[in-house]
Amino acid sequence: MIVTLVSLTLRALLNRRRTLLLGLLGALIVVVAAVYRLGDPVADESFEFTGRLLADFGLAVLLPLVAVIIGTAALGSELDDGTIVYLLAKPVPRPLIVVVKLMAAWAVTALLVAVPILLAGVIGTGGDPGLGIGYCLAAVVGALEYTAVFLALSLITSRALVIGLAYVVVWEGVVAGLFTGTRVVSVRQHGLAFADALVGEGGVAGELVLEVAIVVGAIVTIGAIAMAVRRLSGVELRGETS
Amino acid sequence: MSVLSLTGVSRWYGTVVAVNDVTFEVGPGITGLLGPNGAGKTTLLHMMAGFLAPSAGEVRLDATPTWRHPEIYRQIGFVPEREAVYTFLTAHQFVLASARLSGVPEPEAAADRAIDMVELRDAANRPIGGYSKGMRQRAKVAAALVHDPPTLILDEPFNGMDPRQRLSMMDLLRAMAADGRTILFSSHILEEVERLSDRVLVVVAGRLAASGDFRRIRRLMTDRPHSFTLRSSDDRRLARELLAAPEVESVELRDGVLTLRTGDYGALTRAVAPAAQRAGVSLFELRPADESLESVFSYLVRR
Repeated sequence: MIVTLVSLTLRALLNRRRTLLLGLLGALIVVVAAVYRLGDPVADESFEFTGRLLADFGLAVLLPLVAVIIGTAALGSELDDGTIVYLLAKPVPRPLIVVVKLMAAWAVTALLVAVPILLAGVIGTGGDPGLGIGYCLAAVVGALEYTAVFLALSLITSRALVIGLAYVVVWEGVVAGLFTGTRVVSVRQHGLAFADALVGEGGVAGELVLEVAIVVGAIVTIGAIAMAVRRLSGVELRGETS
Repeated sequence: MSVLSLTGVSRWYGTVVAVNDVTFEVGPGITGLLGPNGAGKTTLLHMMAGFLAPSAGEVRLDATPTWRHPEIYRQIGFVPEREAVYTFLTAHQFVLASARLSGVPEPEAAADRAIDMVELRDAANRPIGGYSKGMRQRAKVAAALVHDPPTLILDEPFNGMDPRQRLSMMDLLRAMAADGRTILFSSHILEEVERLSDRVLVVVAGRLAASGDFRRIRRLMTDRPHSFTLRSSDDRRLARELLAAPEVESVELRDGVLTLRTGDYGALTRAVAPAAQRAGVSLFELRPADESLESVFSYLVRR
């Protein structure tokens, strides 16, 4: 049952052209790191530059962008085109559907984001894997929180992609930058806290203590899953004419 | 053996009432849900299949409410009207996935059996995206019956099928009903329901207009007053002649259109030509004026 659900989800997600486009977006960060490396920079500078690149582009742009597209599509595309009926007409516990879909979306997002970040980290620093691995793990953790939020969002509104993008730009990008208090509930800051703890030197200092990031991140993720289960159990299917 | 029952069920969307205080039971055999487009058939079927919450009343499959009880899908197979399918899967993969998600013990064998039942063997390994409408419909049916459910709910199952596919699907449903299954299908086409179902439910504007044996309802439909329009070489003269005929209830000549009303459809059609002959008038056209399904339905509602 679980294998079938996973394979259906992965086929739907990976079948689409947009996944390829997201792969290209990921390639961009690797290209930037490579081009920078061609300039033969000083070792200290290269750590700082690569750290900035991974934080400001990897965690701040690539991760939320991939997560919003994959997370809202994991269940949202089936809701949009009506194929969700084939899933709902099965004796599959709704929490299982949500969790399996989330795991699949998480895996795809993590793959599309963490691999380019790792590569860019290694290339940018001239072969040192430490920075890349730190940000790569931070991206994997952040990917779970983001996809959970966006998957829940796709069950709340049919405009999940637009609202998700607005959230990324406005909340994560602007509000969390202006008002330090809101950073506690910023997924990006949670990721940065992880990166900071993992990377140590050369990392872009996050604003949050790791413990706070873990607790708040867990609450947000579990809350989003609970919300998604609740919404999926109450999904109503209408006819095309009504 | 399973029974779907609705008790005082209504469903509204905002201020629009889609289904209004409907009560009926569907047991083993084939039941046709007949009604014009927009009558609330899909809303009713979706409530029965547990995809919509009734705004009032109760929908149960045997003792279990269908809403928010996913375990009922072991007992129900559902074929939606919407054409949406996983276009990237082949029919075999689609039906096999359905079998696995339904927890069928031998999914491969069950999938093969279901595909054979809907005669999709030759195309089973091609992606559904390239299928015709009728083939998609059959793939959907195979996916719905792969777990051998005692209850099958089908929303407009014959849409898009050619006559041969329609006949073989009817045979399939009859065979399944003969095994004691409860089969409910919707249609806006009188003939489909007439050919297939022992029992019909007629819904019009969200209300149950008639239910029961099809022949009885058919009689109600044929015994109603019928109107015909006529064109002839001399309408006035023909009208005078027809007024004398016992089959004719009334004659009206307005704006150059001659309209007849009768309680006996067959007798009137037999009486018109002799009357024209007696009057020495050439008859150009005799046309039933209100044979649309909608008018039949609205007549049933008024009764």
